[in-house]
Amino acid sequence: MWRRASIKQRLLALALTAITLVWLGTTAFTYYDAREEFDEVLDAHLVQTAALLVVQTSQDLAELKTEHTPLLHKYARRVAFQIWEKGNRLRLYSVNAPQQPLANNEHGFSDNTIDGTRWRVFSTWDDSGEYLIHVAERSKVRDKLANGIAGNLLKPLWFSLPLLALLLWIAVTHGLRPLEKLASEVGQRKPDNLAALDASSAPREVVPLIERLNRLFVRIDASMQKERRFTADAAHELRTPVAAIKAQAQVARAATGEAERIHALDNAILGCDRAAHLIEQLLTLARVDTLGDGMAKPCQLNVIAAEVISALAPTALEKGVQLELLAGDANNVPKVRGNPELLRILMRNLLDNSIQHTAPGTSVQVGITHESGDICLSVSDNGPGIPEQERARVLERFYRPLGTQASGSGLGLSIVKRIAEVHDATLQMQPMHPEQGLRVTVHFKS
Amino acid sequence: MRVLLVEDDALLGDAIQAGLKQSGYAVDWMQDGISAEQALATEPYTAVVLDLGLPRLAGLEVLRRLRNRNAQKNMHTPVLILTAMDTVDDRIKGLDAGADDYLVKPFDMGELAARLRALIRRASGQPDPLLQVAGVQLDAAAHRVLYQDKPVELSAREFSVLHALMLNAGKVLSRSQLEEQLYAWGDEIESNAVEVYIHHLRRKLFPALVETIRGVGYLMPRDKAA
Repeated sequence: MWRRASIKQRLLALALTAITLVWLGTTAFTYYDAREEFDEVLDAHLVQTAALLVVQTSQDLAELKTEHTPLLHKYARRVAFQIWEKGNRLRLYSVNAPQQPLANNEHGFSDNTIDGTRWRVFSTWDDSGEYLIHVAERSKVRDKLANGIAGNLLKPLWFSLPLLALLLWIAVTHGLRPLEKLASEVGQRKPDNLAALDASSAPREVVPLIERLNRLFVRIDASMQKERRFTADAAHELRTPVAAIKAQAQVARAATGEAERIHALDNAILGCDRAAHLIEQLLTLARVDTLGDGMAKPCQLNVIAAEVISALAPTALEKGVQLELLAGDANNVPKVRGNPELLRILMRNLLDNSIQHTAPGTSVQVGITHESGDICLSVSDNGPGIPEQERARVLERFYRPLGTQASGSGLGLSIVKRIAEVHDATLQMQPMHPEQGLRVTVHFKS
Repeated sequence: MRVLLVEDDALLGDAIQAGLKQSGYAVDWMQDGISAEQALATEPYTAVVLDLGLPRLAGLEVLRRLRNRNAQKNMHTPVLILTAMDTVDDRIKGLDAGADDYLVKPFDMGELAARLRALIRRASGQPDPLLQVAGVQLDAAAHRVLYQDKPVELSAREFSVLHALMLNAGKVLSRSQLEEQLYAWGDEIESNAVEVYIHHLRRKLFPALVETIRGVGYLMPRDKAA
């Protein structure tokens, strides 16, 4: 319940509890402090009364006829006294005093219960040693007085607590208004409104929240724009192959010669293959983003490389290209944590590129090495390479350098880059020889 | 009719070239902006089919430079933009840069050919799809020629020569101008070919159809009172 309570409820509960506790503490302290002072005053009073009796006893007692004195004042009822001659004969006593001795001791203060009544007693002998004097006061009266004081202290609490709660409620509501304003501002936003929230008029405590929200908005905006751009690019890129297929088919239908018709039909089929490849690459790219590194497990790079090379060798040989795997020490097989399916896609795309661009009659080499603790996968070819200024751009989606075969989707290296990112690996491109050949290296951090 | 096709996609360019040839055009095909620019600077094309996303030089820039040259020579080469960019913004940008028409991929070959014919007609000041001069009717869309309401069988090249002469009726066309309309780059130009086609046309239609201006070229007289 507490966890789900609103901030308003929490603040109110905490504030009211704190106020009540402090108040009760103050009351208790005041009660005990007052009681102590009070006791001292009343005790002093008893002593004083006893002193008066002592003085009076020594002079007048012999002439006194009655055994008890009448009550002269209503408060007199609370104080009682006994005067014992020689300590054993009750010589004089007040009306409210009992018949038996008020105390057993003969000097100082004592608390005694007689016939169910508690008494605070001060006892003393007169100067002559003739009379024992007990002056007593009912304890109940003291309690009543002390409780009255405590009660008076507590009374305002019962009145003021509800009032305080109301005032606190108003104060807290007012204090939380910036938060409510922020909530309604965010709540009323359209999903595509990612403009920054205004933090200039917000209280200091809310500013970090607004700043974080704004930072989140910026990130969401960037990723949405990326998505939008990608969708637009993808639609755009799919239009051209579809247009080509349609145009080739229409040329074939209108063709008068057999050779012309077959040429157009062959091209239409080629166009279908190209569109299929593009769609395949688009799906792969989408899958890299969804797969992520969710299925990470130790992968043997050399095994995956061997598989991919075997699959691509026939195509490569058709172009007169040799594929080689240089896996170094077979006993010390480097393992990389990752998704084997994604690593396979990464290698296939790198090899596809190299096979396509390397000069016929040359070889494409796949190397797996250790470099200062990192595991490096490299694919090297003897093609024209990529000029320095183009190297960053070829990683962009749908970017095709001039002179690239039309069959390329422009996505291969984007896919490689994305898979490398997912595996926390870095991508490096460098020429094999000055101005010639290309080596793409993927550094997997160990 | 000699048309310049600028398209960087190999398969699509191949198809458009073949399709426009089927419609009777001689087609030069360039795959990047710089080559297109050079071709446009040296050859007089009847029309241009232009892709926008081109390597080396953007399509819109090619178009702007063409329009600058057009303005200097006081002429207008019809340009049809053929692109995958389909937003209204893209169309506005293309048309404002000086394009005469805009077609979005994927498109229909028949529509492309028809739009090109319309552009060429408008550019030559002959908005009627049926060209009529001296009792000869030429229907460019149907590739058909009628003389005194009777169909006349013409070869593709003969048709192209007649089409060029009728579009420019009343103007002298030099032999090389006619050749340029007939052949794309890479086509082998037969010597005396134009003379041969003119001879055939005179035989199949009537001798006074085309006047020879010795040392200059050929002329199809305009109708006196149209």
